[in-house]
Amino acid sequence: MTKVFEAIPPNDPLLSIDNLSLGFEGQPPLATITWMIQRGQKVALLGKSGSGKSTLLDTIVRGSAAIRCRTHRVAYLSQQPALLPWLSVLDNILLGFKLRRQKIVHEHLEHARQLLIDVELSYLENQKAHQLSGGQRSRVALARALIEDAELVLLDEPFAALDRSTKIQMTKLCGQLLVDKTVILVTHDPRDAQDWFNESMVITPGGLKGPFDLSNFKNDDALIQALDGDL
Amino acid sequence: MSRTLALLVPAILVITIWWSAVIIFDIPHFILPTPDRVAVVLFDRAGFISVHATTTALEIVCGLLLGSLLGFTVACLIGDSKRLQSITMPALIISQALPVFAIAPILMLWLGYGFASKLAMTTLIVFFPVTASTLSGFRALPPSWETTFQTLRPRKSRLFFYVRLPLALPHTLAGVRVAASVAPIGAVVGEWVGSSSGLGYLMLHANGRGQTDLMFAALVVLCGEALMIWHITNRISHRFDKKYTYAV
Repeated sequence: MTKVFEAIPPNDPLLSIDNLSLGFEGQPPLATITWMIQRGQKVALLGKSGSGKSTLLDTIVRGSAAIRCRTHRVAYLSQQPALLPWLSVLDNILLGFKLRRQKIVHEHLEHARQLLIDVELSYLENQKAHQLSGGQRSRVALARALIEDAELVLLDEPFAALDRSTKIQMTKLCGQLLVDKTVILVTHDPRDAQDWFNESMVITPGGLKGPFDLSNFKNDDALIQALDGDL
Repeated sequence: MSRTLALLVPAILVITIWWSAVIIFDIPHFILPTPDRVAVVLFDRAGFISVHATTTALEIVCGLLLGSLLGFTVACLIGDSKRLQSITMPALIISQALPVFAIAPILMLWLGYGFASKLAMTTLIVFFPVTASTLSGFRALPPSWETTFQTLRPRKSRLFFYVRLPLALPHTLAGVRVAASVAPIGAVVGEWVGSSSGLGYLMLHANGRGQTDLMFAALVVLCGEALMIWHITNRISHRFDKKYTYAV
């Protein structure tokens, strides 16, 4: 598997996928995907459970010959915030620097603290991750993604396990903080995306369909038709 | 209070059944002594028994430490490579499948009748559960965590020592807890096959002289030792468990 990063003119797509067979070894492919994402584009990726939405994001991160990603600064947020329980909130945010053996300087610390203010968790800076609630963990994971200054942010139903009000708060926060990023949000519920996304694509067994205006899916019948690949 | 009760109630129950069986079935003392006779021997020969108990405790504790360390190290060495795992797994499974009784005489021949052979046997019995559980710890990391850490562009060695290893620790400790409960088998079998000290030796020695009460006294002390070692291992491991167990 190779991942190709290139310096390219800003008008070219940030991510292009060409005939990627989604699926697992030894099994028939779930779908074949061809897709291009421009810089700054924000797309909700809809699909039924098991349609290959998460597999697609995972493949983008791991790389494939069929994927051309023009940045190595990719962030990934899932339902599981992947915080190390024995580290403090601040250390979890700075984990990437430690894992890359990159020296943490004063600016990094200040940036991390500012992000904690942005996600409204500055009072928990020294708290251990295992002492946080689900919503707080998601915010810390968001701050960690932001400190990496990712160009492409992949969100794999990151708020699916949260209660409705925390989910709304997190959606608003993402809308503010990810305003200049390229974002792909995987979800099976268009309501999670309607507040900050206009565009959506749907993975169906016949391939990737779209783009659709998310407002079309306020009607459940239209959503079901789209998920079945009939729209 | 409830913990003391949890220990006391089964102990009282066993002693009651034991004592009742001796009285009801009129079992002679040389077959099954009454608990009070065993208690008298424990009290009268405390010094003598404690010398042997110390030997066995040392064999168990050192074997548990060495076996855990070896098991953990081997798991760390092969944990990242499926190929290495498939090569080494048959040897690891054979090391567990062979009854320790079968290889005890060989170990005696190679390592002598002293401490080393008992240490080797205990180590061998402890090794596999720790290796297997640590390996399962490496495999237990949810795929979404792997993907998340991948996006942080980590150095492989840093990812291993900062993330994978600590996250596997609760699994390792579960293996150590299992190992702590079977470690006494290695030590006692070693003493049975050939030794001049230890509770296993004392049991054989007492059996040969028809001192059933001394044999039972040694058995009671062995049970106490095994329980204590398991309890201490459990307490230590739970401290680490709390720290390193992750919520998904």
